[in-house]
Amino acid sequence: MEWEADDRKAVVVGLIEKATNSIKPDLDPRILKSIKSVVRHSDSELRLAAENLMSLMKRDHSQVRYLTLAIIHELFMRSKLFRALIVENLDQLLTLSVGFRRNQPLPAPPAIASKLRSKAIEFLERWNSTFGIHYRQLRLGHDYLKNTLRFQFPNLQANAARVQQERRERELRTKEILLKKYELLKSNFSSIKDEVNSIVDEISECLDILITSKEDNLPLDPIDEEDVDEFRGVELRRIRDNSLKEADKVQENSENKVVFDALRELYKLLVTKHIVAVQESVSVLVRVELSDNRLRDSMLKEFIDIRNHLKSIKKKCEEAGCALTNPADEGEEDIWEEGASESFDISTSSTPNKQSEDHANKRNDSPECSNSKTINVIGKVEDPEVCGTDLNPLKSKLMVEAPVMKWGSFLDNWGSNRDFMANQRGLELDGHWGRVDHDATIPANKIAELNVQAVVYEEEHKEIQQCGAPLKKGGFCQRKDLKVCPFHGPIVARDDEGTPNDAVSMDDEKPDLKLFSMDELLKQAVNNVREMDKEAMKKREYDKKELKRAKLAKVRGHNEAVLRDAALASTSGSSSIGDLEGREKDSLAKMLKKRTTAKDRLARRLLSRKATAKELNLGEDHSKYREAFPNQW
Amino acid sequence: MWKEIGDRESGKLRPNSFITRIRSNRVSSLQLSNHKEIVSPHRGAINSLQVDLTEGRYLLSGASDASLAVYDIQRATDYDGGGLIAKHKPILLVDKQHQNGHKFAISTAIWYPIDTGLFVTGSYDHHVNVWDTNTTQVVMDFKMPGKVYRTAMSSLATSHMLIATATEDVQVRLCDMASGAFSHTLSGHRDGIMAVEWSTSSEWVLVTGGCDGAIRLWDIRRAGCFSVLDQSHSQLGRRPPLLERSTTKVSTSKCSLPGQTSSAKARAPQRKGSSGSGSKHSGSSRILRHAKGSAKQRLHPGLLSSQDRATAHYGAAFDVWTGKASMTLHGHYEHVNCCWYGAHDQELYTGGNDRQILIWSPPKLISEDVDEGDRRTGQPLAVDQDNWSD
Repeated sequence: MEWEADDRKAVVVGLIEKATNSIKPDLDPRILKSIKSVVRHSDSELRLAAENLMSLMKRDHSQVRYLTLAIIHELFMRSKLFRALIVENLDQLLTLSVGFRRNQPLPAPPAIASKLRSKAIEFLERWNSTFGIHYRQLRLGHDYLKNTLRFQFPNLQANAARVQQERRERELRTKEILLKKYELLKSNFSSIKDEVNSIVDEISECLDILITSKEDNLPLDPIDEEDVDEFRGVELRRIRDNSLKEADKVQENSENKVVFDALRELYKLLVTKHIVAVQESVSVLVRVELSDNRLRDSMLKEFIDIRNHLKSIKKKCEEAGCALTNPADEGEEDIWEEGASESFDISTSSTPNKQSEDHANKRNDSPECSNSKTINVIGKVEDPEVCGTDLNPLKSKLMVEAPVMKWGSFLDNWGSNRDFMANQRGLELDGHWGRVDHDATIPANKIAELNVQAVVYEEEHKEIQQCGAPLKKGGFCQRKDLKVCPFHGPIVARDDEGTPNDAVSMDDEKPDLKLFSMDELLKQAVNNVREMDKEAMKKREYDKKELKRAKLAKVRGHNEAVLRDAALASTSGSSSIGDLEGREKDSLAKMLKKRTTAKDRLARRLLSRKATAKELNLGEDHSKYREAFPNQW
Repeated sequence: MWKEIGDRESGKLRPNSFITRIRSNRVSSLQLSNHKEIVSPHRGAINSLQVDLTEGRYLLSGASDASLAVYDIQRATDYDGGGLIAKHKPILLVDKQHQNGHKFAISTAIWYPIDTGLFVTGSYDHHVNVWDTNTTQVVMDFKMPGKVYRTAMSSLATSHMLIATATEDVQVRLCDMASGAFSHTLSGHRDGIMAVEWSTSSEWVLVTGGCDGAIRLWDIRRAGCFSVLDQSHSQLGRRPPLLERSTTKVSTSKCSLPGQTSSAKARAPQRKGSSGSGSKHSGSSRILRHAKGSAKQRLHPGLLSSQDRATAHYGAAFDVWTGKASMTLHGHYEHVNCCWYGAHDQELYTGGNDRQILIWSPPKLISEDVDEGDRRTGQPLAVDQDNWSD
């Protein structure tokens, strides 16, 4: 029985130990859950946990305290017994977590200590707001920290209440606005209805006119109907239907243009104004809250009817061929499309031909064959399908092997043997610079000289490899250097894990190499020793002492390591987590050490030298001054 | 408890011992009271607390911000948390704004032992004031040569109305309220006097303790003191060796004693070097209490009842008979300066540097709890129960 209890004891204590022995900023939720489940079922376990947590809070490490506090919070919010236990020593807990006593400041590291403090204050506030009424100690602690020591509490509850209040006010305001709108609507209801009715009437009149005019134009319908029967295929039938519908549409012409214009106008009004207005009033009616809902309901019903009616009318209008965006726009679009297609035709059919003809001519004239080839190829690149069709096989063959050239201004006068006018713009240049020869020409070879193909040197694009050396914090070095990474040495090909490929190949022959290297090392060591011996012969009495000392230090180090191992083995609950704990402890201890950054080192160096120098100078100055003026201070 | 009631019913137990037993039971279970709290208006450390001796109803507190307040501890002025917490606000508050108010910290505030119509305050501004409670005016004013540390009035006195005052000065002065003058000046101490108390066995006997480390007992009818408890005469008392203590500050602050038996106060010898003229009452004083207890035993063994003298200092309660700490009460966040034990309902009042006056009381009876539970159900407040979500 006792044995079992002991075993159990180890469970919760071990769990807590494990949970707090971490350098992570948060608790491991799994461990926390298991702590909760263990503690939940037995009060003795809970007492033990409380005791253990309080002792953990005394640890000289903010990280441990922080995690412990998190566990305490979790249990505090849940268990009554735990609350009673914790509240008894609340002042101690607050001392250890908030660190308000001057003689007991929070331990290192300072960053986590400040986090711990803010968290503790937040927790205390939550505890106080939830359970303060049942525990005087909580109220006292909260009051003391807040009113006597003036700690800044996050004031969560008050903030939440304020937000709530604001929201309520906003809602109230919207309600008021809705009510006002509703009143307005009530007063305007009849007028709105009248307006809507009038526009609806007008539209329907317009439509009537159109339909009557259409009916005159439709004697063919029955025949069409018969025709429809002949089309058995569903697809065809549908197409037929569509075309029939198109045909149903009243086409705009000079006769009914006025009607159409009016209809369009009305339709626009309907869509932009009335439907929107009706929609809005419906939404107002839906949202408004009234004590008497009957009037609202009836209004709502009417409005919905109106809306539906308007929608149907809108649909009719659209059927009649006046969507808001339509007549003009559609027409334009059509025209534009046609134009586009035409131009496309032109470009596809005529220009290439022309070009190719030009090219053909030029080829004949051109002095160099390669040039003509390139030009042809240009043509081919531009629109191969079109060109390919009417090119003869020789040409196509040539084009295949022709190099591609970039476009440039030199292509303008490619292969032309003409002389160019010097003043081709036809400007009167007389009088300023003396006589001008209007008929001066520039010979063709000069032109050719001027229009040499210009080629910009393009660097061969080469992907600069990333360094790719594995980093301590995970990931790989992203630096891109040409040859040598300043951090990881020369850049070599690496595999996915970041080990150099050469190394991998070395790894394959590792044992031999290792042996070899070991042998070599041994040899080297022996050599070294011999050399040292020689040296030692020379200055023995001096070296002897040092050797001894080194040996002693070695022995001491070994002893310490053994002791540490033993201590670890005895303290850790189970061997499985032993080494892990050791590592964690190391890291926890590491957190305590202040990391020396580059800045620190620099500062130390600068400050030390400069400061000392300055001080020296100052001192000298001062002493000189004093000597000169001994009567002054 | 039920057994005791049964015994009492059958007459096995005599009424006095029954009362004593119940009381001691209750006292032994003192804890921080959740259902009763005093709203302290003070903005400084509470230096003095006393419940009046006649009604046991009015608590007088003096604080270092020169304010003093009177609370009704029987009737709450306010309720909080759905009637769960009774709040006692001051029914009387005198602070620096008052025309007759003290200028500096009030070190002592005591009731006139016969009546609640008067109270006496002593302050660091060298004055001892006698106040009329009803009009909140000073009716008498004694100018002292130095800071006043403590005043005391005898609860037994029938033939005199003397206020014994312990001041920075080496002399103990007895102020006569009837005439408004100093009737006696007792010389003997070689340094400031920190504490003074009348004997509860004789109206003429006065006990004082000074910074020179001596406790002197005076008979005011005769000249000079009749006994000295000096640190150098350590064979006199069974006093524990003070030198072992690591805490340097020694307090002679108020020991609260059961009203009916408040015996002559034993003065803990002050270590002169440590507290100097000892303006600050602080420090945890376990051994000090021990010393006090034993000295008291020696002085007035016959008067001590079987009750625990619960004296709290930094939350420690002590048993006078054994001299051991019987329990430790954690509640204050800073040093505790003063306490008072209300024998009537076995409550303990403590005041400290954290500006709070805490009430320590025996736990409520179960029936009351149930009653509260019923009242509480109407509340949306969180009920103090287990709440395991997973």
